[in-house]
Amino acid sequence: MPQRLDLLDPAEVARLGGIEIVAEGVVEGFLAGVHRSPFKGFSVEFTEHRAYQPGDELRYLDWRMLGRSDRLFVKQFEEETNLRSMILVDASRSMAWRGAPERLTKRAYADRLAAALALILLRQRDATGLITFDEQVRQVIPARVKAGQWTRIVRALIETPDGHGTAAHAALQRLTALLARRGMVVLVSDLLFDRELALAALRYLRHRGHQVVVFHLMDPAEAELGGPPEVRFRDPESSVSVVVRPRELARAYADTVRREIAAWRKACRRHGVAYHHVLTDMPFGMALRLLT
Amino acid sequence: MNFIHPLALLGLAAAAIPALLHLLQRRIPPEMDFPAVRYLSEAERESARRLRLRHLLLLILRTALIVTIVMAAARPLVRVRAGVGSAHEPTAVVVILDNSPSAAAVVDGGLVLDRLRVNAHATVASTTPADRAWLMLCDGVVRGGTREELLATIDSTHPGWQRLDLVDAVRRAARLVDGQPLPGREVEVLSDLQRTAFGPGDPGVPAGARVLVLAAGRAVANQGIAAVHVSEGAAIIELSGPTPQPVPVTIRIGSGRDRGEVAARGLATLGNAASGDTGVHAAVTVSLPAQTLTPGWWVGEAALEPDELRADDRRPFAWRVAPPARVTATPGAGPFVTAALGVLRDARRIVDGSEVVITGGDAPPGGAARVVVEPPADPALLGQANRALLARGVSWRWGETGTPGPIASAQLPMIAGAAVSRRYRIVPQGDGEQGADALATVNGEPWLVRAGSVLLLGSRLDTAWTALPAASGFVPFIDGLVNRIIVGESEVATAEGAPHVEFRTRGTDTLGATVFGPDPRESDLSPAPPALATAALGGSRRVEVLSPDQFAAARFAGTRRADLSAMLLVLALILAAAELGVATRTH
Repeated sequence: MPQRLDLLDPAEVARLGGIEIVAEGVVEGFLAGVHRSPFKGFSVEFTEHRAYQPGDELRYLDWRMLGRSDRLFVKQFEEETNLRSMILVDASRSMAWRGAPERLTKRAYADRLAAALALILLRQRDATGLITFDEQVRQVIPARVKAGQWTRIVRALIETPDGHGTAAHAALQRLTALLARRGMVVLVSDLLFDRELALAALRYLRHRGHQVVVFHLMDPAEAELGGPPEVRFRDPESSVSVVVRPRELARAYADTVRREIAAWRKACRRHGVAYHHVLTDMPFGMALRLLT
Repeated sequence: MNFIHPLALLGLAAAAIPALLHLLQRRIPPEMDFPAVRYLSEAERESARRLRLRHLLLLILRTALIVTIVMAAARPLVRVRAGVGSAHEPTAVVVILDNSPSAAAVVDGGLVLDRLRVNAHATVASTTPADRAWLMLCDGVVRGGTREELLATIDSTHPGWQRLDLVDAVRRAARLVDGQPLPGREVEVLSDLQRTAFGPGDPGVPAGARVLVLAAGRAVANQGIAAVHVSEGAAIIELSGPTPQPVPVTIRIGSGRDRGEVAARGLATLGNAASGDTGVHAAVTVSLPAQTLTPGWWVGEAALEPDELRADDRRPFAWRVAPPARVTATPGAGPFVTAALGVLRDARRIVDGSEVVITGGDAPPGGAARVVVEPPADPALLGQANRALLARGVSWRWGETGTPGPIASAQLPMIAGAAVSRRYRIVPQGDGEQGADALATVNGEPWLVRAGSVLLLGSRLDTAWTALPAASGFVPFIDGLVNRIIVGESEVATAEGAPHVEFRTRGTDTLGATVFGPDPRESDLSPAPPALATAALGGSRRVEVLSPDQFAAARFAGTRRADLSAMLLVLALILAAAELGVATRTH
């Protein structure tokens, strides 16, 4: 029985090949594990009934038909083709970091997750675009559904170098101008920037009617502090450094991280933004499933 | 606070190790990229105070742990109340164990010495190797040695025969402990505290030295023989202690086949020497069968019935039975002397002869070995008489007329107190014989002087000069002069020691005897009141008279210390556990 790539360790999957191969493999596995498109929602319309088969979700059962004919029917929907999705990938310097050599960098994980997500969306004939950014917007692939769009997206991901600082606020503002019609915005980032400014931009997108999804990437080493007895940690973006004894500070640090995640989650929920915390050792399939 | 092993305190330098490690660990740390520095900074900012407190707490705990262990190794001693703990500071202690004869008294079924010995044993057993201990017995010898040696000495101590002057003993003991470079100085007096054991003077106990005195036990009555003198055919038995009437006395004379026994129940009378200083309170006179004893040295023993103190119930004595002196008197000696010699001749105390001549200032007949010379009745002959004395080599002469007064004499008690109304002063002259001594005095001036073979009187033996010829002691006085004094009295000395008699000899001649026995003051068992003992031994600031329980509690109390090492080790364990807990929680 062939293994499903979407459920394997991301680093192992990444060793299979480039972003395209990995993304396609992940998407194939992912789609094989679900009965229907995971993204049915406001962008689909009812088309016809069909007889219920074991395994169909009960939420699509037509109860009215059941009452009239005493037979089980499920409702079938037709997907729209005018959903516009834009994937924002943080390419800042902090994303090019991994806590252990056997893991993917946050940037590598984000690229593969974005590529897989774009492939799923495009297969659903949704117009999908890409923006990469660090302290400024680096690549912009407008949302399209035409052939070769995924290749362009993947190429843009590959061609975007690791940046320096992070200016999510500017990138998100730029995005608002590119998304004239309402659609879905997926932000893939380690969120190591000013939360209030970023939330202001996300709030604006929500105000414009966009569905906003945030993937908060974090290396496991960032969630749980470790290292030598005493070490000077330097922020690769700002060069700010601090000398700490990881063993002494581990608990306080873990508390701080938990508080930060909780703060992001709470702020996003308040503004109708879907927030997902993803560690870079999480299989891609599980990360994608967070969207369903 | 003092330490048994003070050198271990050098280890306190190790207390700097935690601080040094803390400083040495402040090296340049390795540098690593870490994107989430903002979380790190926030976490550090929030926990900085807690971390600093933990670091400080760990530093304190580790330093305290080292200090505690080092202190425990040094065995600290802290002053504690009496009765708590057994350790004490190094102390120089002298235990005065009074095993004088009075310690042999039986009180409440046991020897007094046993009671004293228990306390001495406890004191020596309480000493530590850091202490210096000595033991002083009644012989006054200060014995040093190891604890085991001293304990063995105490266990083998028996009542001795020498009196111990407690004031002198404390003086010597205090001087000894004061010279020791130790923090504690203690003198322990274990005695029956006889009133007579406190001699004169101040022991001079130095500041810082404690004198602990075991309070006296129950007092018992005692009667003993202080001394026995044989004089003019009678044994005078001097008694000490309370005197029940009459006193049964047994006299045993001689030894072997010559041994005889005289049982007497003499009536004790207050003697002339009754005195608190000598311990003599009364005397019993027992006549000896002098006529049946052949000339020579005789040894006897006087004994009382047994009482609580057996040591003084028997006392030996010695005397010499001499052959009757061959005596003659010149006409100048006077009628009283002639009459007295007649009485003595009738009693066969003397026989006629010229071995001893009594003259009245006139020249003695030629060949006379020994002469008793009265001053001439005619003052005009005084110069001639003095020249005759000088020619005989006598270093004394008659001088000016002296003042009247009573006669004082220790060797001739029978004439003591007799009035002298007329006399010549007896003064030294020329380079004569140097062995002269005064046998009797009047107003402190010599009245009867022995100069070799010549006895010189300051007055004529006549009632116009002195009342002595009319006194009852006159005949015994003449007897003593011709039989004892002039022929050179064989000296019987007394000495302290186990009762026995030793003779002094030169060649085959016996020159004298020494009678050994306990000091008469040992017979007085009445104890000194605590106030008297305190005052005599140095005053209340330095001397404590204590009951046995108090004595045990006060022993080494001045320097008693509790050993804190066990407590410090427990504290070290607690500190180690606390350090482990804090460190584990931190990590």
